[in-house]
Amino acid sequence: MEPLERLLNLVGLLLETPIPLTFEQIRETLEAYRSDNLDSAKRKFERDKDILREYGVPLEMAPTDAWDVEQGYRIRKERYYLPEIAFTPEEVTALFVAAQGASEETAATQGVRKLLYGADGGLLAGDGGGPLIAGSDARIERVLAAADAASGHRRTRFGYRTSQGSVSDREVDAYGVVFRGGHWYLVGLDRERDAMRAFRLSRFTTETEDLGEGSGPPQGFRAIDHVEAGPWHPSGEDRATIAFSPAAAVLAEGSFPGAARTQERDDGWTLFEIPAADEQALAAMVLQYGADAEVIAPGPLRDEVIRRLEAVADG
Amino acid sequence: MAEGRRRSATTAERLGRMLVIVPYLVQHPGTSLDAASRLFDVPAVQLRKDLDLLFMSGLPPYGPGDLIDVDVDEDGCVWISMADHFARPLRLTRQEALAVSVRATELLATPGVPQAPALAGALAKLRDALGADTLGDASGIEAAEAGRAPAHLGVLQGASAAHRRVRIDYAAASTSARSTRTIEPEAVFASAGHWYAVAWDVDADGERLFRIDRVVSAEPTDETFEPRGLEGATRPLYTPGEGDTAVRLLLRPSARWVAEYYATTDVRVRDDGSVEATFPAKQTGWVARLLLRLAPEAEAIEPPELAGEVRELARQALEVYGR
Repeated sequence: MEPLERLLNLVGLLLETPIPLTFEQIRETLEAYRSDNLDSAKRKFERDKDILREYGVPLEMAPTDAWDVEQGYRIRKERYYLPEIAFTPEEVTALFVAAQGASEETAATQGVRKLLYGADGGLLAGDGGGPLIAGSDARIERVLAAADAASGHRRTRFGYRTSQGSVSDREVDAYGVVFRGGHWYLVGLDRERDAMRAFRLSRFTTETEDLGEGSGPPQGFRAIDHVEAGPWHPSGEDRATIAFSPAAAVLAEGSFPGAARTQERDDGWTLFEIPAADEQALAAMVLQYGADAEVIAPGPLRDEVIRRLEAVADG
Repeated sequence: MAEGRRRSATTAERLGRMLVIVPYLVQHPGTSLDAASRLFDVPAVQLRKDLDLLFMSGLPPYGPGDLIDVDVDEDGCVWISMADHFARPLRLTRQEALAVSVRATELLATPGVPQAPALAGALAKLRDALGADTLGDASGIEAAEAGRAPAHLGVLQGASAAHRRVRIDYAAASTSARSTRTIEPEAVFASAGHWYAVAWDVDADGERLFRIDRVVSAEPTDETFEPRGLEGATRPLYTPGEGDTAVRLLLRPSARWVAEYYATTDVRVRDDGSVEATFPAKQTGWVARLLLRLAPEAEAIEPPELAGEVRELARQALEVYGR
């Protein structure tokens, strides 16, 4: 008998049994375990249990009667069966598209395949154009580990390199994960600093280590509030006026969140109003445009850019 | 023994697959083998073999009336009965549910995704149905507001689907220089927050990757093209070429992120915490701009003329300020 057939029968038997079955009872019922001697049949059963658990089959042990004398096996239907979810074809198609990652066989694809059964009318046609997104700059395993920690309110430890380049170990009570601007962040309570922090997953220098149960997030917590949109926080009051050459204008528009075109100069350059909360960071961004950008205002930002240009030109 | 382990792994995979495919076939009677094979990414021959085994399984006492009935008709359509216990699939594991949430969140935070509203609805239903048992407190998995999609995304997606050549005006990041090209967009995808078009550049007669937010204008033409099978979302964003220059930089601590951001090699950490790293570049123009931004926290080591290029760039920029 093929192992697959034996496993299918085992799942069916344990799903349908009204009372937990001991191994001896299973052996009596399923011919596949009868043909061997007892020891090798037991080993076979142990391997089969491992396979079932590997695929998330909720195999459990329970007393076979009220006197607790013997333990038997069963699969409880309410833990096995996916609850009914009524998806529209649009919704299932969207999930299918989302799950298609850069790598072929992921947990996401497997998960979505389980949901297909409830798709009334199946998938929408015409979405076979290949994966839509290639994901982020962090490995999916790391993102999953962070999401796992956050959704379980776990305490974790990991090595982290700040944007300034210093590396240290962090102990964090994980509250949430946020995807912003192509990056995943873990948001939580930094235990040593006793403050909420956001950590970019691509800057982790180690895997996350689970330290057990952590604290829960405060009332009204939103992880996203703790991930900065960038130095050019659109909520800031300060604005800088920067002119970009015709070629650079289109690039600038996409690079500075909250940038607004104000007017075109006679020489074809375009003036932008750009939120400017952090002068150093903004100066650095402008410098990357070389001779295609000019800071008009405020004066200190203009002076800072000129100072840095002179330092390089004279270097 | 190794042989045995490999075989049992295959059996495990086949079991996992059957517990998902059979419920689908029960709920969608008359699905063709081909359709199921495509949907679940299983070779039709293998699927047929597994279904034949399903036919032998059932419930005690395993008499003829207790076995699952599988019929594949002459049109290759599958009909399954007597399989009530497999009429619904196995629950999603926590890993699978998290993975679906994570991928969906990435898509929701990407601007210009037409499926986004349906996806948000689907995700909410999924979280409701699976509950805290499976997903924990999934409210912490959040997508930033997607923001604005690049202006010409729709045109390029349409042209890609219709295999239509497009004339674009493109602003290169390395020099800010604008150029007009005719391209054959084969795949459009988002990666790390940006949309890209993989295209055959007709004028350059070569494969190119365009960032769609740098497309200044896009005009579909009447000419169609035959796709060459260029790789889409699965491709690396940077493909090394023969004409590449090896750039080596010295990165002080606050500029060390550069070593992670680009695909660097030969990374050496100095005693003072600064790093030397090498990466390939098609042109050095954008590297000079990057160094202008990072100075004095980063310096050019190789190629030798790069440092002069950065100084020259600084002088040109100073002229803009009338210095």
